[in-house]
Amino acid sequence: MVRYLRLYAYFVRFSFSRAMEFRVDFFFRIFMDCLFYAVQFAFFGVLYRHTTLLGGWNQEQVWVFLGGVFVTDAVIMTVFANNTWWFPLFVNRGDLDYYLVRPVSSLFFLNTRDFAANSFFNLVIALGLLIWALLRYPEPLAAGSVVLYLFLLGSGILLVHAFHLCFLIPVFWIQSTRGLDEMYWVTQHLMERPDRIYRGWLHRILVSIVPLALVISYPTSVLFGAPPLRVALHVFGATALFWLLTWRFWRWGIRNYASASS
Amino acid sequence: MSPHLFFQIFSLQARRIFSYRAEFWVNTAAGFGIQFLAIYCLWDAMFRESGQAEIGGYTFDGMLLYYVAAILLGKLVRGRERESDLANEIYEGGYTRYIIYPVRFFAYKYAQNLGGLVPAMVQVLLFGAVISFVVAESALATISLSGILLAGVAVALANLLHFLLKAPVQGVAFWADNVWSLDVMTRFVINILGGALLPLDLYPDWARSILHWLPFEYLTFFPVRVLLGQVGFAEFAGGMAIAATWCVLLALLARTVWRRGDRQYTGVGI
Repeated sequence: MVRYLRLYAYFVRFSFSRAMEFRVDFFFRIFMDCLFYAVQFAFFGVLYRHTTLLGGWNQEQVWVFLGGVFVTDAVIMTVFANNTWWFPLFVNRGDLDYYLVRPVSSLFFLNTRDFAANSFFNLVIALGLLIWALLRYPEPLAAGSVVLYLFLLGSGILLVHAFHLCFLIPVFWIQSTRGLDEMYWVTQHLMERPDRIYRGWLHRILVSIVPLALVISYPTSVLFGAPPLRVALHVFGATALFWLLTWRFWRWGIRNYASASS
Repeated sequence: MSPHLFFQIFSLQARRIFSYRAEFWVNTAAGFGIQFLAIYCLWDAMFRESGQAEIGGYTFDGMLLYYVAAILLGKLVRGRERESDLANEIYEGGYTRYIIYPVRFFAYKYAQNLGGLVPAMVQVLLFGAVISFVVAESALATISLSGILLAGVAVALANLLHFLLKAPVQGVAFWADNVWSLDVMTRFVINILGGALLPLDLYPDWARSILHWLPFEYLTFFPVRVLLGQVGFAEFAGGMAIAATWCVLLALLARTVWRRGDRQYTGVGI
């Protein structure tokens, strides 16, 4: 475990020095994410001019939900996004060989090696917005609920990353996962809206096979009165199950990997 | 550039995109389906929870129709953005070949952009036909032949406006290594201020009066309203005049940026 943490510290250090080589892009990206936050606030702000509730939540509750959306997005962009972008290319070019022979888990190495330093500043901003939304919430929030919310949000982030990997691992069999990856990015927008707007069979799918409602909406619901034990079991259970499936899928893919010819 | 050469570039680009048939259609159909589902659920919740029969002057079916038109016409306005990525030509050094080609760079890229619209036109016809079974007949009744023809003109100008809006942004690549984030920022602004995320009728009046004079609403909101028969001829002419004025201004800006950029360009690439 310590070895992995030291390795991750090196990844972070290298990423910061690399990011500083492209300073203009570095600041552009920070500004880009701030604009994304502004657009989301504007979007829901306009909607709440015409309704008092959306998906059962009032505007203050949706600001907290949005804080979760921003933190989730920032963590994914900081920790995983660059790696998931490179992964299919490594398989296609046969570069995966270099990662398979290293004395650490290839799944860990390939999912964490490229830390996006520019997005890290957005993570700080996103956390600030989440804290702001929690502090301005008019009713008292129990400390236990907030702690559970943070753990559930962390679990949700791992869950959505495992879900994303399921769209990328087929690269071991098919030449390009570009189409699948595009489908993932379209689908994942469903988690950026309160889950209660989805009803019936669609809601059932979003809390099971395509578990996007569990990523942000379910963690947020524990702050507003949802039964914490049931939500925690659902989110943690789904994350564990999805990671187990992803890990087995990964192992299966690795067995089919034929280096540069794959 | 001769019309014959312009058509050759247009045709080549259209065939290039159609060559990835299976992936293209699966993605397009799935993307459209998921997008429509998300919009349907959002507005179903909005109408249900607000208890209103109309929001911003739209009934539920009218709202769905607005979004379907915005998504489909948006495809014609934006084209295949990746394929006409001007900044990549600079970054990868590919811009060098256009300097020695006997064609003008922007004319070449615009022909490519139009070629990329052919699959989008097929999608518009196909998904438009499918969706007409989902949306109530009363909402569809506002669409007329004259509305379709005028919307065609508005979309053609919107496509040119979009192309010219992005040209100066992409020209920043002469000075910066990577302008992907600038491009994404432009998309965010176009979506929220242009009516792709929300009909501008839902915005406060002060915002509407400012947006009226900016180029963004002529990219989505205006062509959609023309299609839905919400715009009279005088308003149509006024809107087209504002959009055309922005085209001229942005063309001048793009020319200035690219002329200055040309002096910086070393042709090194990556």
